[in-house]
Amino acid sequence: MADDEIQNNVTLEERLARLNEIVRNLEEDTIDLEVALELFEEGIQHVRGAQSILNNAELRVKELVGSNEDLEVQQLKDDS
Amino acid sequence: MTTMDDNSEIWSVSQVNRAVKKLIETGIDNLWVLGEIASWTRASSGHCYFTLKDENSQIRCVMFKSDVLKLPVDADVGMVVRIFGSLSLYEPRGEYQVVVRSLVDEGGEGLWRIAAEKIRKKLEGEGLLDKDRKRSLPDSIQTVGVVTSLRGAALYDILKVIERRSPWTEVVVRDTRVQGETAAQEISEAVRVLSESGMVDVVILARGGGSMEDLWAFNEEPVARSIAISPVPVISAIGHEVDTTLADLVADFRAPTPSAGAEIAVKDRESMKEMLGVRTDSMLLALKGMTSSNRKELTHQMTELMGFEHKLVMPYRDFLARIGDELETGIRAVISGAKKSLDDTEAIMDILSPLATLSRGYALPTDSQGRILRKTGDLPSGKKFSLKVSDGTVFCGSLGKDI
Repeated sequence: MADDEIQNNVTLEERLARLNEIVRNLEEDTIDLEVALELFEEGIQHVRGAQSILNNAELRVKELVGSNEDLEVQQLKDDS
Repeated sequence: MTTMDDNSEIWSVSQVNRAVKKLIETGIDNLWVLGEIASWTRASSGHCYFTLKDENSQIRCVMFKSDVLKLPVDADVGMVVRIFGSLSLYEPRGEYQVVVRSLVDEGGEGLWRIAAEKIRKKLEGEGLLDKDRKRSLPDSIQTVGVVTSLRGAALYDILKVIERRSPWTEVVVRDTRVQGETAAQEISEAVRVLSESGMVDVVILARGGGSMEDLWAFNEEPVARSIAISPVPVISAIGHEVDTTLADLVADFRAPTPSAGAEIAVKDRESMKEMLGVRTDSMLLALKGMTSSNRKELTHQMTELMGFEHKLVMPYRDFLARIGDELETGIRAVISGAKKSLDDTEAIMDILSPLATLSRGYALPTDSQGRILRKTGDLPSGKKFSLKVSDGTVFCGSLGKDI
């Protein structure tokens, strides 16, 4: 798995969900050692990706405008 | 001065009334009067006619519709109130009255509180305030919705907290008036639109502090109902801790301030990092456990083979040692590959150590939440914990620190 995998748009939530899945799979007795090592490597990648998000994320705030039929989301105008 | 015998000047009734009206209206200025409500009638016109009394006398009052609109509810008979108005005469009936512009409840119960109580009882009867209705927050919150005034400080406080604790969480805001006549309608519409948009996992309804009158919109039915039918959990963060509005009672969570509301909604960086650490350790331990059982499998196979072909097989102990080493080498190779993707060398040391140390007889204590216990302070006497050794986990209790 390449390093640039970390840069893509996988969200923190998705990484955590996959990480939890990997842990569950690894804790099952029936798994092959080779497969386990692959899963482990993928898991570390997700930990790395998650750490990056935790350290570098910037808050994004949007505004929901319009009504009923024509709702849309736009960047929040900063009046302050 | 006219006497009874002098009837040169005879007034009509209307003239009398007109003269008295003038006298009353010019003779006494606008005034505040304190008294008890003796009767109260709301006419279909919207005007309210009532009597104010003290121990010795009473006075008629009228409050016209435009001023009545400011009251949340009609005053009850027996209530002590303070009214502001002017004296006047109602000419057609020759009745003297106070035209009331403003009415304030002087007693312990505010008119506002009484009105709120009426609506609360109604909604409580429908079960909207029941504790069982309250939902918990989902485990994963990707987007937080906020309904508040864009011009208020509440939004700023909320954003500040989210930025500090979990800036990876997205925020979608819906602007609304938070006080005034149309506020209740606007707020309920905003809550409905945002909660039903599918874009948010939770809604924070926020407003800074104010008097009960300022917060009144949050006591009105439409707001409470929109919260009740929201498809996602709602956190109400309205006013200060002492203010309780109906919205607070119907919401799934109640926060004393907007900042506290944001804290309820989002996890923080430290706990997320700790969670990642626990997941990493879990993966390592699972892997370690696996290689141990693989070794057991090989041991078993070896034992069987030894029964038939012992001359062709290497000394038992050496073979096992070799297999064990190869397995560990394999894992270390994976880790050094992963090493390139982990900048933090400390993390690498932490990762390597469980593998090496567990097989040597060190063990990993964790608490009931899976958190790793590292110091004697984490294990006071009596503390129950789990201890992971090389081939499984045992439950333990601490006997206290070894001095």
